[in-house]
Amino acid sequence: MNSYTSKGTGNPINRVEGKLKVTGMAKYASEFNVKDLVYAQGINSTIAKGRITAVDTSEAEAQKGVLAVITFKNAEKLAQYEKDLHPLSTTSIQPVLQSNEVHYYGEYVGMVVAETFEQAQYAARLVKYTYDESKPDIDFQASKPKAYKPTEQSDYSRGDVASGLAEADVTLDETYVTPIEHHHPMELHALIGSWNNGNVQAYASQQMIDNAAKTIADTFKIDKKNVRVMSPYVGGGFGSKLAAKQHVILALMASKAVGRPVQFTVTRTQMFTNTNLRQRNEQRIQIGAKKDGTLTALSHDTLSHTSTYEQYQESCGTVSKMLYKTPNNSVTHRLMPMNLQTPFAMRAPGEATGSFALESAMDEMAYKLDMDPVEFRIKNDTQVDPSNDKPFSSRLLNECLRLGAKEFGWENRPKTPGTMSEGNWLVGYGVSGASRRAPFMKTSAKVILELKDNKVYATLQMDATDIGTGSYTILAQTVSEYLDIPVAQVDVELGDSEYPVTPGSGGSWGAASFANGARAACEQAMKDLKVKAGATDATSTAALMQASNLNTLEAEGTAEPDEEYKAHSVFSFGANFTEVWVDKDTGVFRIKRMLNVASCGKILNPKTAFGQIIGGCAMGAGMAIAERTEVEPNYGNFITRSFADYHVPVNLDMANIDVIYLPEEDKIANKMGIKGIGELGITSVAASIANAVFNATGKRMRELPLTPEKMILK
Amino acid sequence: MRPFNYIAAKTRQEALTAIQEREEAKYLGGGTNLVDLMKEDVERPEHLIEVADLDNDRITANAAGGYTLAAAKSNSATANAPEIRKNYPLLSMAMLSAATAQIRNMATNGGNLLQRTRCPYFFETSMPCNKREPGSGCGALEGANAKHAIFGWSKSCVATHPSDMCVALAALEATVSVQAPDGSERTIDFTDFHRLPGSSPEKDNTLEPGELITAIDLPKPQFTEHYHYLKIRERSSYAFALISVAAGLKIRGGIITDAGLAMGGVAHKPWKLTSAEAYLIGKKPSTTHFEEAARLALEDAQTLAYNAYKVPMGSKAIVRALEQAYAKKA
Repeated sequence: MNSYTSKGTGNPINRVEGKLKVTGMAKYASEFNVKDLVYAQGINSTIAKGRITAVDTSEAEAQKGVLAVITFKNAEKLAQYEKDLHPLSTTSIQPVLQSNEVHYYGEYVGMVVAETFEQAQYAARLVKYTYDESKPDIDFQASKPKAYKPTEQSDYSRGDVASGLAEADVTLDETYVTPIEHHHPMELHALIGSWNNGNVQAYASQQMIDNAAKTIADTFKIDKKNVRVMSPYVGGGFGSKLAAKQHVILALMASKAVGRPVQFTVTRTQMFTNTNLRQRNEQRIQIGAKKDGTLTALSHDTLSHTSTYEQYQESCGTVSKMLYKTPNNSVTHRLMPMNLQTPFAMRAPGEATGSFALESAMDEMAYKLDMDPVEFRIKNDTQVDPSNDKPFSSRLLNECLRLGAKEFGWENRPKTPGTMSEGNWLVGYGVSGASRRAPFMKTSAKVILELKDNKVYATLQMDATDIGTGSYTILAQTVSEYLDIPVAQVDVELGDSEYPVTPGSGGSWGAASFANGARAACEQAMKDLKVKAGATDATSTAALMQASNLNTLEAEGTAEPDEEYKAHSVFSFGANFTEVWVDKDTGVFRIKRMLNVASCGKILNPKTAFGQIIGGCAMGAGMAIAERTEVEPNYGNFITRSFADYHVPVNLDMANIDVIYLPEEDKIANKMGIKGIGELGITSVAASIANAVFNATGKRMRELPLTPEKMILK
Repeated sequence: MRPFNYIAAKTRQEALTAIQEREEAKYLGGGTNLVDLMKEDVERPEHLIEVADLDNDRITANAAGGYTLAAAKSNSATANAPEIRKNYPLLSMAMLSAATAQIRNMATNGGNLLQRTRCPYFFETSMPCNKREPGSGCGALEGANAKHAIFGWSKSCVATHPSDMCVALAALEATVSVQAPDGSERTIDFTDFHRLPGSSPEKDNTLEPGELITAIDLPKPQFTEHYHYLKIRERSSYAFALISVAAGLKIRGGIITDAGLAMGGVAHKPWKLTSAEAYLIGKKPSTTHFEEAARLALEDAQTLAYNAYKVPMGSKAIVRALEQAYAKKA
């Protein structure tokens, strides 16, 4: 569709920023041309636990081009954590190089600043550390006695699970394991930062601008007003760029020390050790059901690890609180301190992993009950969120399952596992239900209208980010709709902390929040314009400006959740269907086709939305097939340390993925009826694949990823 | 990366002279492995002598009735050459299963033979590794060894050789031509080219210092009708083999008259399955015989803490590769 003449949301227009991206004109954090730029290279610890007893920087300092070598000995003193083992959500600071203690393998222990990237990288290897090494806690099994109840969101219950299980005709008690994974956006974390008389300017690859500015300000104990963060384009984040990481602080510390702007680009190997991870989870699920499939009990207990100094947990059990109707429900989370980095939100934190456990268990239960897994889920539907007794604003899970089953040809699946084959391949079908909270957050925007040649041109400004999702495009469409002008007359400017504040990109709230913020600004502009124009017959925006005798007009608006939103549970829902072919002997399997049916409110742009769901499905397939970070069992380093050994799916691994958007109008979610889709796509995909493997082979795979090694040993 | 000198050799003699005159010098082919390892500080040459442009596009008929592959020819060009596809389809199939199209375009035939192991202890300079740093110990022996050897390993090293091409070359019984800095030339049987780790795992092969691989000589066309390269890996492309099997059969009058079998991902060198080959000759192709061949092949396997799966996987892979080879033109 022609982007230039189209108006409004809902059209599958090409990305307005597409040409900039494919021609290299869109600038990412490390690409800005900054005068007098120098380069910093982080140095990583080579032990997982212990203390640095000596550092020799002399050889590094003697190298050509080296401007500074910074370690804990000469690093600037930063804000300190107020207490040990604080929940990650309670702090905004990122202290680094503040002591000689090492908490995990690869922790930053220093940095070299040099005139060129190559000089910094070479000299970084020449800094010599002597350690007093202790035996690290890196064994998941051995750490179990140290598990503790986290400070936040740990336990939930309603009814009584024990009695619910007692009254059940059929019960299940199984444990599901998901491995450590890494976010690995294509664009490496990067910063060009300058410290100039207490004023900070940073080009940073960050999902949330305001959040990054706050971390910088709080860590250096300066006023946030003196911090400007710019992030016009972000090459993916998947949660790893929600918060400013230590390299942001390091780069600014370096700039302050050498008096020049500093570029710090995290290497791919440092993307494993210094930008957080998705932790390994062991999830125990118990389910009780009557013979007719009615759930009587559901419990979901998650055991994970966190660092030795900070708490973070994925709320894997969230999905079990709300997805199905069950009177007796309990959810717990426990954490073990280990000598590994603090984990941090990775795409659909809690849902992606929790849904693997729950939706695998629901499938197992359906087979135990001899019920169709689709019907078993439909049977336990609820239109009220059982975790808080609020009605869902809209919940079309049953409709997603029914439509998906019909379109996928679910009736052709082998009813008995292991009974359909094609040559050496065993064929199986799997299904899973998906849910993901669809939040809407307070968001502000500014719009500037200009009248030129009888046409209105608009510029939208907000500190929202485009992390590859298409924010520029959907916002241009939104402004076009609410100002009633063609998309080609709209300019969108994002990713600058000088613009009005938004919640940034994350948690599937971006599209709904940004678009409603832009809508509010446009509505304000139109309102102002009508007041200024007075009594007039003018209807078009251009005519209103002429009637008001205005060449320019600026307006700001803020959108935020209303009471109705707060009185409801607002989620997107979906269903995944997968066909797999499993080699009868070799442990190899292939995903043949996938179908995702999603009900997620108004689709602002079907083209960019398809991209997000397909990307989510591919990432879910990655969870199922290959993604896994392995910890070395004696030393605690990651033995997967590049894309050669951290496997994500290749094109050949991926099936044809079909996406159907179930039309849904949900004006409770927000005025525009938009629900997030950034995370719905990944949710429960791994379960639908594992369930299909069971259907093909009769092998129930409860530990991800489903590698040939695991398949052959089962 | 450490600073290094780069020398572009225009002739083979220039390359041989250049290496003789310098300490800590290495030949550079496509650089797809060596340059990566330099970035990781695993390889630390002070001089790189580029040999990728020497005799670049020769595949020539040889006296044995086969073909000779120039060392500097790219993997892509070799695998896709009509004479290789027609006369050695097993080799072509194995080579095209390797790495990615981009890497195959850069990688040379000689360089493929000299690939270093993918063992994570070898790549991480803070870890013990006798191959990288003799005497530092083997981290994998009691560590993360799921992808390591089940044949021919020693307490010094349990690493595997990563090449696919070499597995097919072992099955085909190729020879390697090399030239020393003094100009003398010799040939090495392919199965003697790579070595087992023993107590000196820092030596991957039997090349003498400064020797340059000039060519790979293939025997008469082989296994043109019944062949299969089976590669089991964690994803469908750009992944090293957990287990791979190169299988070639010659069948005349319903009887196997020649067999070439080798495995990858199981040893410090491409692992030729000599006893299985011998067993198959004279037999009628059948699953029962293929299973017995697999049993013989894996008889001597010695597994480590995390790689026991390689025995059942290897067994299934041998049977499947032989079945596929047989079925190709039954």
